[in-house]
Amino acid sequence: MRAPACAPATEIGVAVRGSRVQRAILRRTLRGTLGYVALVGIAWCALAPILWALSGSLKRDGEITDPTLLPAQPQWSNYREIFDLLPLGRMLLNTTVYALCVTAGQVFFCALAGYAFARLRFRGRDALFLAYLGTLMVPLTVTVIPQFLIMRAFGWVDTPWAMIVPGLFGSAFGTYMMRQFFRTLPAELEEAAIIDGCTTWQVFWRVLLPHTRPALMVLAVLTWIGVWNDFLWPLVMIQRNEIATATLGLVRLQGQYHTQWPILMAATMVLLAPLLVIYAIAQKSFVSGIAQSGMGGR
Amino acid sequence: MARQRERAGWLFVAPNLAAVGVFLLFPLGFSLYLSFHAWDLFSAPRFVGLANYRRLFAADPLFLIALRNTAAFTVLTLVPTVVIGLGVAAVLNRKLMGIGIFRTIAFLPLVASTVAMAVVWRFIFTSDDGLLNIVFGWVGIDPLPWLIDPDWALVSLSIVTVWKSVPFATVILLAAMQGVPETLYEAAKIDGAGGLRRFWSITVPLIRGPLSFVFVITIISSVQAFDQAYALTGGNGGPETGTYLLGIMLFQNAFSFYEVGYAAALAWVIFAILLVVTLVQLRFARREEIEL
Repeated sequence: MRAPACAPATEIGVAVRGSRVQRAILRRTLRGTLGYVALVGIAWCALAPILWALSGSLKRDGEITDPTLLPAQPQWSNYREIFDLLPLGRMLLNTTVYALCVTAGQVFFCALAGYAFARLRFRGRDALFLAYLGTLMVPLTVTVIPQFLIMRAFGWVDTPWAMIVPGLFGSAFGTYMMRQFFRTLPAELEEAAIIDGCTTWQVFWRVLLPHTRPALMVLAVLTWIGVWNDFLWPLVMIQRNEIATATLGLVRLQGQYHTQWPILMAATMVLLAPLLVIYAIAQKSFVSGIAQSGMGGR
Repeated sequence: MARQRERAGWLFVAPNLAAVGVFLLFPLGFSLYLSFHAWDLFSAPRFVGLANYRRLFAADPLFLIALRNTAAFTVLTLVPTVVIGLGVAAVLNRKLMGIGIFRTIAFLPLVASTVAMAVVWRFIFTSDDGLLNIVFGWVGIDPLPWLIDPDWALVSLSIVTVWKSVPFATVILLAAMQGVPETLYEAAKIDGAGGLRRFWSITVPLIRGPLSFVFVITIISSVQAFDQAYALTGGNGGPETGTYLLGIMLFQNAFSFYEVGYAAALAWVIFAILLVVTLVQLRFARREEIEL
């Protein structure tokens, strides 16, 4: 840029540069602010239904129609009432037991099979693994009817076995995930252990498994969430309230008390809260699990 | 040693293989077998050939309704999920202070139970005094018959589903976006490309693989949708047949009417639809390997 000869060149230069810098700062602040507006909007969309449920769960029946987020007088008794209407405590305990068993089983057996697929050579391994990959594409809807029939043949319909056993020995998906992870571990770890005279089991259990903790964590969290939120399977399998899951309880409560919103909202909060807490703690491994596997939930 | 390891290989896989075989592979074949039979769960299955499939396509008007509803529902969830997911991922991809907290909150719906959230949304959709109609009232929009009118009920169902599935799309797309090399953006910036231009010309083409993956996963879960429909509008797909989806039809036939063979045929039709979708996606994504 050429300054007019009469004006002191440096001054203009400074002024131009100054305003340019100012404009850049202004633009950046503006864009930053817009970014935060968008972020708050997104966060609000994600949170609003949950907050509204929380707020509704603490309101009085007549107050529920007021569009206020904070209840005038928090009715904690709503929470006591759902436990009176349904054995919801029992259902939560059932769900916890199912989730614990299935998660423990998944983590163990998927790691075991994943290790074998990744590190051990045995005849038919690759063909078998291909079959595993194929089953990942099969949707739940196709298999749910025969699965029900198998459970009926075993005499497990309306028993806790139906909730626990099908997931207990691992899944194709978990095995696939663990295999991918075992393949990333350096071969030297294993070789050193073999030279030291470890059996295959010892190599797996003592040497390699401790290194897979991040993957185990991801699989555990995904499995827990899958069992906790599962609906179709318990709906088909479970009749008795004493062995029902909490999702089932919520839907049954909805069927009976479909207009008592504070009660229903309290029940949804009871169902949501434990997972929200787990999510808050294990958020990183959960998100990375979904991102890596690309196949969240069931 | 090698023999021991070979034996250990089979031994380690055995429990898992048994589970996958009994609860996945066998049911898959068995359901195909069932689809050619008439069975009410009590008397012996009777071979009927293709009769179940013929009945689906030629004789059952409800199948066409379910198919149409599912198609409409899939479009109504797919388009917003992808568009919103892309936008949200772009916003979450920016390096702003405290972005971690916003990401944590934005991904929260991932863990929320579909059934529980459907119940919450039913509360929000309540006609006279639901939150949505109250808020609409503030800006002068007349209340909408969310769950009462059959067409609106399908829209309501889609809203619930979109709320639940956007975070999943976002996680996948955000992870992909973070793999795009920064230098490309800098080069484009020097060439004078604006933010929107950079997004369309760099980000979107480079995440094409994950994007098409999100497409397919969203279609797969929409075609199979059941939980949210059951909890939001009940097991009959009401009001009228407004939310009568393939998933509801399958459940009804199998577990309410005990028409197991017929339901199995329907399951295979659903499977066939999903298989075609997946194959089409694989063709699209072939050039860009997706990291599964």
